[in-house]
Amino acid sequence: MTCAGAIVWAQWRTLWHSYPRRGVAWSAAPSLIWYGLWAGAAFSFLRVFSNPAEVPVIRIALPGGLLLIFLYWQVVPLMLATTGSSLDLRKLRAYPIPDGQLFSIEVLLRITAGIEMVLVLTGMTIGAMLNPALAKWSLLATLVYVAFNLLIAVGLRDMLGRLLARKRIRELVFFLVILTAALPQLLLARHGMVSPQLRLLVTRDAWEGWPWTATSNLILGNRFWPSLAVLSAWTVGTLVFSRWQFSRTLAFDSDAANTHDSRASRRSWWIEWFYRLPSAAFKDPLGALIEKEFRFLARSPRFRLVFLMGFTFGLVIWLPMAFVPRGPLGGFFVRNYLTVVCVYSLMLMSEVCFWNAFGFDRSAAQFYFLAPVSFRRVMAGKNLTALFFMLLEIAMVTAVCALLRMPLGARRFAEAYSVAAVVMIFLFSAGNLLSIRQARGVDPGNSIRTGAAGRLQAMLFAIYPVTFAPILLAYLARYAFGSQAALFGVLGLDAVVGLIVYRVALDSAVRTADLTRESMIAALSTGDGPIAN
Amino acid sequence: MNQGDGAPAIEIRDLRKVYGDKAAVDGLTLTVPQGCFFGFLGPNGAGKTTTIKMLMGLAPPTSGTIQLLGLPMPERSLEIKQQIGLVPDESMLFDHLTGGEFIEFVGRIYGLDRAMARARADELLDLFELGSMPKKLIAEYSKGMRKRVAMAAALIHRPKLFLMDEPFEGVDAVGARLMKDILLDQVRHGATIFLTSHVLEVVERLCERVGIIHEGKLIAEGLMADMRGTAETLEDAFVRALGMENAAETLDWL
Repeated sequence: MTCAGAIVWAQWRTLWHSYPRRGVAWSAAPSLIWYGLWAGAAFSFLRVFSNPAEVPVIRIALPGGLLLIFLYWQVVPLMLATTGSSLDLRKLRAYPIPDGQLFSIEVLLRITAGIEMVLVLTGMTIGAMLNPALAKWSLLATLVYVAFNLLIAVGLRDMLGRLLARKRIRELVFFLVILTAALPQLLLARHGMVSPQLRLLVTRDAWEGWPWTATSNLILGNRFWPSLAVLSAWTVGTLVFSRWQFSRTLAFDSDAANTHDSRASRRSWWIEWFYRLPSAAFKDPLGALIEKEFRFLARSPRFRLVFLMGFTFGLVIWLPMAFVPRGPLGGFFVRNYLTVVCVYSLMLMSEVCFWNAFGFDRSAAQFYFLAPVSFRRVMAGKNLTALFFMLLEIAMVTAVCALLRMPLGARRFAEAYSVAAVVMIFLFSAGNLLSIRQARGVDPGNSIRTGAAGRLQAMLFAIYPVTFAPILLAYLARYAFGSQAALFGVLGLDAVVGLIVYRVALDSAVRTADLTRESMIAALSTGDGPIAN
Repeated sequence: MNQGDGAPAIEIRDLRKVYGDKAAVDGLTLTVPQGCFFGFLGPNGAGKTTTIKMLMGLAPPTSGTIQLLGLPMPERSLEIKQQIGLVPDESMLFDHLTGGEFIEFVGRIYGLDRAMARARADELLDLFELGSMPKKLIAEYSKGMRKRVAMAAALIHRPKLFLMDEPFEGVDAVGARLMKDILLDQVRHGATIFLTSHVLEVVERLCERVGIIHEGKLIAEGLMADMRGTAETLEDAFVRALGMENAAETLDWL
């Protein structure tokens, strides 16, 4: 594994150089908090699994728990359009590295897409091994189950990665993945806690041919050989599947996949009309700037995917709460479904619209500093583009809500759109500052995000509560005065304050851009190491 | 089959690469003997980079065969890659490594032990005049420095065949001179060099054989002296081969 050692070493050096020397704490803080919480959960599992008195509960819950681990590992990263770290095969394929070694490293890298589940499984396994009422071979069962998850993750990632690299079908594929992933949640919502279909998957009387049932049986000490045979068969099957998918990815030619007949590439008149819209509304150079942004974003696979997710994924994940309201929060979701989904969509879109507004077209950033256009106008152009796409997104959300026959009315429209407008003003203010101060290059052609800058994530932890505080105040006002007018009154005040904040933030961003243009352009121009993370 | 002593360094037969309904490389047949300094020329979009990507194993051909150092590609790709030095597109570099770290990494990938890879990396950094800034990241390098570090990395395992995509692009006169001397020295020691370049003066001075590709087809190939023929310079011969002697037109408003 000489090559593997070299790749790991190079990646370690890459990470070391990536972190700003004075900002390591900022970068590491969100990860520490997040994984700290999961480590706490793992410790709780250890306590439960090591207690002989809990064995009856474990017997009931373990198959479903292992299924949830499987789903988290495989589906959640895909739903968040992020898949952890992976080898940058574009750069490594030219070197004499055996495919087997690349595959082994790729399998191990899948751990990064489910570190949380590794922690949980570790806690469960240690607990099970300490428990005299559970089987001694829990460690073996867990290791094989982890291998099964890692292998299937490689296969799925490679298969989806290739599909998502193809123009025209990538959005459709992702849409289908989202719908598939949301199916269990919808079944739960329609049939109560455990529907008959789900019972076959998760309960202790579930079919014994599932890998999670087999793992559960092994941990519980039931039917050792048949369970081991089932789990091994699944693992070998996924090994064959993932090797097949990995070799197809190695041979994949994305340039060839994205070419099509020149006849088919003739652009429709309405797309050109859409691109030309800003020039009809604004004078040049602002019109030209916005038109360029329209063309660029509409052609970016990452942007198109997130836009699609905004009015599909957002609706799907909040839908069960709206259909089956439980507790006081459930009622809140039913009453404010449109508002919740609109705000969620804005948060999703913010990543591609304004947190890192220069990240997608880094070469253009240099041009903006050279062109005889004020940087304020450039920022305004980007904000107006973001505003347009966000309004379009909200309109799509509303249309889909109407199709789903969600309760809508003038009051709900007004509330949702007012909240969204206030949120947008504050998000734009923060986004303009971050786009300059935390600029980083992003591959617009990459549909799936392989990571995010830790420092930016840390800042978002702080920014979101501040951004949403004015909205919270408005709802508190409605609660305190028992009047919708109070809500709109505070939202109006929020909007005025927000516009002042926006103006100040824009001035600051423009000044900072002028002072730090060199470091900003350098930050936008950097790439990755042998492992994209 | 082992690498044949008499086998050409590069043997391409009827190579095609089709994207959609467009052939980027269309029936390319080319032989480059061992120990040859070969310049592969062509206008933008002619198919040079696609060809070199297929030689490097980065893009599978649609049809046709490639043999490098007597071994078929991609069937024996691992053995072939072990004997090749690459100066690829600069996007293939790892920006968050220092120059020394990148060269050491490439050395280790080619099977050198860590101590030897590090020692050779240090020597190559000095040779390419990059040693004075050991902590500078590749991301902070100028274009010329990136090309120099790519070439240094290509040399670390003493390859028999070099595949170079625009190695002199952005390199200053001193750097270019240094790189030329090193490459000529490699050829004197039996290595084969296949490079693409837009800098025709460099090709004219270095290469003994030249091939010109246009719209995916090889339109001329032969010894430098034969290619130049009656033309004064390679540039004249190149423009004539493309049939673009009178292509320059001025716009009315310009």
